[in-house]
Amino acid sequence: MSKPKLKARMRSLSFDEKIKILEKLRDRSRAIAASGLRGKSVKDGGTKAIKKNRG
Amino acid sequence: MPLGHLHGLVHNAGRENTPVKATLEAINQMQTDGLIGKYAIGGAVGATFYLEPAATVDLDIFVMLPSAGGLLTLAPVYAYLKAHGGVEQDEYIVLDGWPVQFLPPGSDLEMEAIEKAVATELEGVSTRVMTPEHLAAIALRTGRAKDHNRVLQFVEHDAIDGRKLQIILARHGLTSKWKQFEQKYLAGNS
Repeated sequence: MSKPKLKARMRSLSFDEKIKILEKLRDRSRAIAASGLRGKSVKDGGTKAIKKNRG
Repeated sequence: MPLGHLHGLVHNAGRENTPVKATLEAINQMQTDGLIGKYAIGGAVGATFYLEPAATVDLDIFVMLPSAGGLLTLAPVYAYLKAHGGVEQDEYIVLDGWPVQFLPPGSDLEMEAIEKAVATELEGVSTRVMTPEHLAAIALRTGRAKDHNRVLQFVEHDAIDGRKLQIILARHGLTSKWKQFEQKYLAGNS
């Protein structure tokens, strides 16, 4: 499925379904934060150093 | 008994509530018990009602507070929720893993947004969400990059009624701000 179609489909979901996705996004974000990966950028090619583990 | 019911909701104990549903049930209970007046979901979660879901930090609840001697304070709300498992964290109260920010209306625009909010349901729980036009107007006035991005999403996905938006903007002195936004982000888009 193309990205625009996927986005359109996401917009058409019910509020219930959207909230469940938000909660999953939050769970994923918290898992990433707990794993120590936060601070490393992926979008810019992943070349930034992980800040958290310095020192 | 209201307190026991609220405790179970906040801790998600013995129920298959999703966190946001449990949070809304707790908020509705506070409304029933008179700690808060009308409320409406705003911010990113409010926008999600009309747009695609996107990761967000918190749940913004714009809330009318009952005035006691002219002083408006969230202290009773926080005390009520903390007594039943909510954890105060900076400007949030964390309920079942969701940071919730209670926002008394700071302007006529926000008061109007609460009054005109759309009644809806989440997993059978009654709640109210700001209209897309009010969400866009508040975002325009707040004016951060992410707020402008939200307004753009509303515009690009035809999620707002342009006429209604212009009426709201005019009523709250935001027409010139809209023109600046339009010039910066929408110029050339017919």
